[in-house]
Amino acid sequence: MPAKKQTPEMEKTAVKEPVEKPKKNLVWWFNRILYDRILLLIAMITLLIVLMSFTYPREFPTWPNFAAVMLDTAQGGIITTGMLVLLICGVFDLSAGNILALSGIVAGILVADLETPVFVAILGGILTGLVVGIVNGLIITKLRINALITTLAMSGILRGVTQIISPAGVANLPDPFKPFGQVKLLGLQSPFWYMLMVVLVAWFLLSRTRFFRQFYYVGSNAKAATLSGIKVPTVTLVGFAIMGTLAGFAGTVLASRLSNAVVLAGTGIELRAITAAILGGASLSGGQGTVPGAFLGVLFVSLIQNALIILRVPVFYQGIVVGIVLLVAIGIDQFGHAKK
Amino acid sequence: MNEAVKVPKEKVKAKHESPPRLLVEHVTKTFPGVVAVNDVSIEIRPGEIHAMVGENGAGKSTLMHVVAGVYKPEIGTMFLDGTPYAPADEMAATKAGVAMVFQEGSLFPPLSIAENIFAGRQPVNRVDVIDFNDMNKKTRELLKDLDVDEDPSTRIAMLSPGQKQLVEIAKALSHQVRLLILDEPTSSLTINESRNLFRILQRLAKRGVAIIYVTHRLAEVFEVADRVTVLKDGKVTGVREIKKTHPDELIRLEVGRELSFAPSKERVSKDAPLALEIQDLVASPVKHASLTVKAGEIVCLAGLVGAGRTELCQAIFGLRKIESGKIRVNGVELVPRHPRDAMNVGVGMVTEDRREGGLFLPMSILLNVSAANLEAVSRQGIIQDDKVTEISTRFAEKLRIATTSLNRQVMYLSGGNQQKVLLARWLARQPKVLIVDEPTRGVDVGAKSDLYEILRGLARDGVALLVVSSDLPEVLALSHRIVVMSEGRTVGELDARKADEVTILQMATPKSAVHQGE
Repeated sequence: MPAKKQTPEMEKTAVKEPVEKPKKNLVWWFNRILYDRILLLIAMITLLIVLMSFTYPREFPTWPNFAAVMLDTAQGGIITTGMLVLLICGVFDLSAGNILALSGIVAGILVADLETPVFVAILGGILTGLVVGIVNGLIITKLRINALITTLAMSGILRGVTQIISPAGVANLPDPFKPFGQVKLLGLQSPFWYMLMVVLVAWFLLSRTRFFRQFYYVGSNAKAATLSGIKVPTVTLVGFAIMGTLAGFAGTVLASRLSNAVVLAGTGIELRAITAAILGGASLSGGQGTVPGAFLGVLFVSLIQNALIILRVPVFYQGIVVGIVLLVAIGIDQFGHAKK
Repeated sequence: MNEAVKVPKEKVKAKHESPPRLLVEHVTKTFPGVVAVNDVSIEIRPGEIHAMVGENGAGKSTLMHVVAGVYKPEIGTMFLDGTPYAPADEMAATKAGVAMVFQEGSLFPPLSIAENIFAGRQPVNRVDVIDFNDMNKKTRELLKDLDVDEDPSTRIAMLSPGQKQLVEIAKALSHQVRLLILDEPTSSLTINESRNLFRILQRLAKRGVAIIYVTHRLAEVFEVADRVTVLKDGKVTGVREIKKTHPDELIRLEVGRELSFAPSKERVSKDAPLALEIQDLVASPVKHASLTVKAGEIVCLAGLVGAGRTELCQAIFGLRKIESGKIRVNGVELVPRHPRDAMNVGVGMVTEDRREGGLFLPMSILLNVSAANLEAVSRQGIIQDDKVTEISTRFAEKLRIATTSLNRQVMYLSGGNQQKVLLARWLARQPKVLIVDEPTRGVDVGAKSDLYEILRGLARDGVALLVVSSDLPEVLALSHRIVVMSEGRTVGELDARKADEVTILQMATPKSAVHQGE
């Protein structure tokens, strides 16, 4: 699968041969890596791994640390996948973190306070996310309020709702609920495997299917998409529903993994997700982005976070670093546009 | 008229006394893979209006950007009034007295006229507070000079396209301009606004300002310019005095071959089936429209700007709410609520605003062509890359889209090729009815001739074509039948063989305006 910067597929085909082939010298490779987001990320990730392995040989290149990093990519990977779908469509969701928190609490209340079966609690958490996503989508497509304002307002509302229904969260969730987020396979916890499934499915859908191809058109030029017979509101609504569902799923998984539904879960996850997706080649102007790119973005952000922990940088500084990485990523994005 | 005739005589004298206003010698500018301007030398005299014509991609715009300091040439020198001129950037060029009015407006719509003209260099008092009185006074003088009857505090957003253009010129004049460059200045202007612009340009030229006028429209060249330089493939193919040349000669220099825009003689047979019927359609601002198009027929919708032609097309294509009336496609009633409904019965529409509403500019030709053909290129919901390539290749060849690769982003294609990409998207659907709004806007003559041939070929294949065009020669050249609209109503029909520009204009002119005596 050649994952190029712009959009999936392509590569082969051409009416005529290109006029001249550039020489593949060092400068050529340098430019290639600089402009191909995926190669750039692979280069940066490799660099980070090599540097950390040499400077902290006892802490960094160990299996427990690897498992920790993989677990850390789980939540980010799931949310980033949803965010990527929206970014391709030219919008984003700032309420994702609060959907995550509310869904975890709903699942927690269902399984602990109402003593429902585990699968009902899991379904309840996921459905909560789906419903909020649909509400977001309907407000944006029917009332035509822009996504930034709608989801910003929604995040305030959700935070309030979460704290009203469960001011302190739900602690000590019953045992039958735990395997869902804690069972191990090949030494890695289930959330990682869920994320891997979400990422693989999304990769296939976004790069190969007719329905998801429409997201690229809508994000690139909504007016032209309408004129090409694409139902823009439907596509946008589905995008928010996917985001909501994935956030609901991530929230439920997190509650199970921690055996605790935490009110402050998912704080700042939107920032991380947008950062990762844009690092991976998505653009705030829409129509661009690939799943492999976004996943590498998630991995990069998780590795940075891991490095900061090993370097014993206080937790508050980590937010600062992620913020700076986002600014740099958007800077590269803008620079790319200016070059054109 | 008298003045215009006198001016060139004075200039002939001036030519011997003073150096040319601008002398460009052997300038070459390349971009990766293209030599945009190839060893070009031009000479612009003080007080002349010098037209610069050529097809898209001929290098006119690049050359003008070099002169205006936006690009630096790799080779070549330039002289301004006899002194070497090598601007480091646009600001330096402006300071030297060379100003360019860009194709795309560079104004700030929410700000006032005065703030736009003096953006970044507002007159200030001792404590660095903007001196609005002084700024407005200077602006008022500039506007008066250009016959713009607007207050300096008026916001740009409130102005018409013609007035905006004049504000851009006022901005250039405020810099003591010696050489003014206009790039396609009339593309968004009405006929009256264009005439007004020409009058003002001639007045500026008389004062000694040299003007370079880049355009596609040969009619304008003959109306306003003193001399003309023709570019083709980055090279100068001819410099002519306007009085000693003819449009056909310029077209030959531009294209390198003879083109014919003569009306087509083909006619559709009387008993051809009706493909599109519109009966008493009301869809605000369309007040009442009835028309028919037969299979294989080209019907042009003619009328003035604001007559509701585009809006009628949008209503047919499901982009506008239909209040009453009927649409039938091949005898089946169509109630379009979304373009998809119209597409399902075989209707396609090529929109007039190719860049805003038609193309996905940062995307490839492949993706642009397949946008309306996602069912055709997929199997069970999965996109088949070979099919995407197959239909794009087929139509790229059929429509002669000039590109090195189908992976090329459409924003890098010329206007004519972009229009062909848009057409390819719809042709791939094999429509029964194709609505084409302004098929050749912003397209060079070579591509124009290609597009006419494509549309005629479609009609021969039995497609019913409804074409909107504001270009009357185009209406006459292309159509079998002409339907005229005025003030939201279809007001009459003409056989293209018997029609002429005057008759069309008479039918298109609103009757209410006649009553008011204007």
